[in-house]
Parts: sequence; structure tokens; C-alpha cells
Amino acid sequence: MAWYFYLIYISMLFCIVVSLYHLVRIIRLGNAKDYSKPAGDVKAAVKYSMTVAMSPTKKESAYLHLPTYAAGILYHIGTFVSFLLLVLFILEIEFPNILNILLSVFLSITTICGVSILIKRMFSKDLKLISNPDDYISNILVTAFQLVTVLHLINSGYILFIFASVLFLYIPFGKLKHFIYFFAARYQLGLFFGHRGTWPVKNK
Amino acid sequence: MTTVSRETIEKGLDILRELNNSKFITHVNSCVHCGLCGESCMYYLANREPKNLPAYKVELISSLYRKYFTFIGKHVPDLVRAKELDDKMIEEMVDVFFGRCTMCGRCNFHCSIGVDIAYLTKVGRIMLTEMGYTPANLQSTVDAAIKTGNNMAITTEEFVDTLNWLEEDLQDDLNDPNAKIHVNEQGKELMYTLNPREPKFFPLSISAMAKVFYAAKESWTLSTKMYDVTNYAFFSGNSKEAQIIAQRMVDEVKSLGIKRLILAECGHGDRAFRWEAPNFLSQKFDFDVITSVELLAEYIRTEKIKVTTENITDLVTLHDPCNLSRNGGIFEEQRFILKNTVKNFVEMNPCGINNLCCGGGGGQLAMSEYNERRMSIGKLKADQIRNTGAKIVVTPCHNCVDQLLQLNSAYKLNVQIKTLAEIVADALILEN
Repeated sequence: MAWYFYLIYISMLFCIVVSLYHLVRIIRLGNAKDYSKPAGDVKAAVKYSMTVAMSPTKKESAYLHLPTYAAGILYHIGTFVSFLLLVLFILEIEFPNILNILLSVFLSITTICGVSILIKRMFSKDLKLISNPDDYISNILVTAFQLVTVLHLINSGYILFIFASVLFLYIPFGKLKHFIYFFAARYQLGLFFGHRGTWPVKNK
Repeated sequence: MTTVSRETIEKGLDILRELNNSKFITHVNSCVHCGLCGESCMYYLANREPKNLPAYKVELISSLYRKYFTFIGKHVPDLVRAKELDDKMIEEMVDVFFGRCTMCGRCNFHCSIGVDIAYLTKVGRIMLTEMGYTPANLQSTVDAAIKTGNNMAITTEEFVDTLNWLEEDLQDDLNDPNAKIHVNEQGKELMYTLNPREPKFFPLSISAMAKVFYAAKESWTLSTKMYDVTNYAFFSGNSKEAQIIAQRMVDEVKSLGIKRLILAECGHGDRAFRWEAPNFLSQKFDFDVITSVELLAEYIRTEKIKVTTENITDLVTLHDPCNLSRNGGIFEEQRFILKNTVKNFVEMNPCGINNLCCGGGGGQLAMSEYNERRMSIGKLKADQIRNTGAKIVVTPCHNCVDQLLQLNSAYKLNVQIKTLAEIVADALILEN
């Protein structure tokens, strides 16, 4: 087995272990007991929080910012596709040429989305106030990961594995760990608004 | 070099240490700094200052959390911009958490992740209060409630006098010498509470509710000892003082042997007692707690009172108090009541649980330090009202009434501001 396979296995394992630590921690900490009498269906609200409440028609962060929202969605899809491809590359599965071309085109688009988000962060007065180096590094790493995946589709080598290893080592420490906290936040929001009967919204 | 003592800083950090639960850890770690929350915040919409971004509020707490409680924040603080809790930071926190947020929670709905930004603002306020940085006027409101039993420091004599003349007026109005405003009566079905603004400035809203109780033949009473539904310690973030205020209400309900406590038309009072007080006191209440909005809807639904839409023909709109609707789940009842009591109704846009805060919430009306800001963000609400073309604005919250009255005057809206009880009282069909 090539050395870069060891590298990727070790970094992936590290990422999984530390990410699991975050996940297990928030589960084990549990919620403070709520003594107030519930007014709604918490389970339905959590489901609502994870589904309907996230639809672009319900969130101003989506429908008032459609270009950014669309870029963000594509960028995330590109990230997931890149990770999936990485697994397939590790398993040494090869694709037909046409699929290679299609995937390359798609990931090139998602890479551009990542770059556009980075440019926005660099030049927006608002974003500069709330951004820290981790935001830039995370964005650059993930965007570059997609770009390197494209290059790997065109001409395979070991650069992708080195790059992915760096990414795996970085994920649990910075904002990229939101891949866990995002779901926890949606759950918590559903819990809160469900207990009070605000969600799921029936008529309004 | 900070001038704040280590002891003071530790008091603030202790709050973060104690909040070691899933909710806090989740929300403090979740923001991705996308900045798309701006347009969901009235403060940001009013003047586009980056400091008004909800994400900036999150960032203040998160940067402290990272500095003191995470490996990276402790060892590579510049990477994640982890910040010290020093006097500069405290000054910024006071300005942002008290002066740039009503904790209306609208941004929570619209956050791309689902961060409970209002909750983190509350955490910031708890820290500041623990360190002794509560804005003076907000603290004096809390102090008045602690010392006198109500936040307006109304004496019992003054309160009883007001109730006496209101009762006389009620008897004249109903032409019934037996019509009563019941006070301190034992074993009644329900105890009604008030926002102290009512006896102080808007006594007719007490008459309106008394008239509704009369029509419903309700078994009810007020307490002169503890009638104040508000709990400004909830806004200041002082849980010990919030406990004292909440416990007094619980004690009075038990002392009078009441079955149902009816929370007056006061968004934050409703929230503070119904949703927060059981947690301040770590106890489940063994009596029912409902808002007067729910009670009025129940009276109409069960035909305990009869109402007509013929008496109020002017165009009416509704302002949903954030603490009652978004944070309290009550947004259908007020619409049901208005559907049955007014002829012409128009919604604001946006409305319901998505409504814009009036600008007076979160204790802003008690913090004169931020009056100018409060009135400037209120322009959004004023524009919303003007766009409806309504002549009457109804809101089931005396705090909102106060802010809307000031907006009415400042932005020349020429509308009447009414509570739901006043609308229902005007729409009553009284049996002979």
C-alpha cells in the first residue's frame, strides 16, 4: 500500500474520532430540565426544524440572498461529492470517461462557488467584522479540495490524498466542525419552539 | 491592560462554566459567520451597521468561549480570534447585548444554521449582570419590583384607590351596582394579573377586562399584594431576582387558593412567568397558567361571552408581541378574537411569528440610555403600520402599547393603539 494511503487513513481516523468526541459530548451533556408545561409537539417540531423550516421559502437568509444561497448549496454539494469521490479513489474504483468529464465540470462550478464566497468574505465590510482566519482557511481548504479533486479526475496522482489528509486534520478544530453542530442546532431550535407550540407552524 | 478585577472577570466566566449543557455548547459552536442573518434584525435593517448583525452578537460570546474553553482558543487564539474578557470587551458587550438587541428571536428563524442568537444574547446579559454591568435604568426597574412588589413602585393605597373608582365607573357603565372588581378574594376560579402600566397610565384596560369578566360571569379576583405580571430581571439576566419576583406570584396564587392564573396582556410577563419562571424556581406549577389572550379566545369559542363585529368598523391591524407569538406560540388566538370582534381586519407584512419587533422589547423601554436607537429602529414598525392603512392597531402587550404610542406620535401615524381586552369589551353584547 502506498504511503499516502496510510496518511489518509490516519488523518481520516483522527477526524472521525475527534468529531465523534464533539458529537458524544453534546449528547452526553444533555439539556437542562425544562419545568414549564409543554404547549406543543416537540418531536414534530424537531422534524419541522430539520425539514420545512429549512426550505428556502421559509428563511430570509435564503430567499433574500438567492445568489449567495445557491452558491452555498452548490458548494456544500460539491464538498460531499468530493468526499464521496475520495472514498471511491481510495477503493481504486474507476469511472467511465463521460462521468469523469461530467464530475469535473460540476466540481469546477462548485469550486467557483467556493471562490465567490471567499471573495465576498474578503471584501464585505460586514463579513470582515465577524470573520477570523479560520473562516478564510476553512474556505480555502474546502475550495482547494474540490479543485484538487477535479485535477485528480483529469490526471490521478497522490496530491489529492495529501490535501485531503490536511483537511481531515483541520476539520475538527475550526468552523468546519459545523457539519456536526449544524444538526445539533436544528435539533435544539426544534426543541425550543416545539415545547412552546410555535413550531410546527400550522396555518401561518 | 484591563482595569477590571480578576474576581469580576471570573464571575462572568463562571456563567459560561455553569452553562455546560448541550444547548449552550451547540449554539456557541455553530455560527459559520455567513452574515446572512442581517436582514432579519430590526437594528441592522434600520441602519446597516455591521455591529448590529446578529452574527456579531454570537461572535462576542463565542470568541470568549473559544478563548477560555477550547484548545485552539487557548493556544492559537489568533486563528479563531479568541478574545479576552477585559474592559474593552465588557464595554462592547454592554453596548451590543443591552443596546442593540431586543431578544425578539426573529433571527433564530432565519439563521442559515439555526443558532439561537437571542439565547446567546441572554447569556451575554447574564454575564454582564453577574459582573455588575446592568444598565442603571433597567436595574432600577428591577429594584422597584423587588422593593415594592411592582415595577412602577405604585403604593397599595394608590392601587386600591384606582380600583375603587374603576369599580364605580364599571357600575355606572353597566348600570349594575353589583358589578365588581374583586380584590384579594379567596377560592376564586382565577386570579388576574396586570402590567403596572395599567393602574398607572391605562386604567381603562383594567375596566375593559373587568367588563369581560362580568359578561362571562367569571369567578375572579385581583391581588393587591402581587399583581405585577412583569419580571424585568428576566431581561437583565439576574436569575436570583427573577426567582424572587416569580416566587411571590406563586405564593399569592397558593395563598388565595386560585385554580388558574391569568397572565395579563404583557408579552414578556407572559413569557417570564409561563415559560421561564418554572425554570427559575425549578418547579412544575400545580395550577394552570394561561394568558388573557387564550382566555378571551376561550370565552368566545365556548360562547361564554357574546360579541359582535358591528361595533368596530374602522380598519384594524394587529401587532404580534415577540414574546407572546414567536417565543410563546400564541399567534392564532388573537386572530380568532379579532375575526369575531372587528369588521375590517388587515395583517401587517410580515406578521404572526415572523412579525417585526416593535423595538420596545427586551427591556429597551426601561433603558433610556438607548432611547434614540429604540425610536430609530421603531421606524420599521411605524412603516409597517402605515402601509396597512389601519386606523386601529391592536396589540396584546402593554409594553408594545407604550412603544407603539411613542411611534404613533413620533412618526405621525394617527392611529389608535388598543389592547385585545379593550377590543373585546367594545364588541361585547351584554344580556339584560
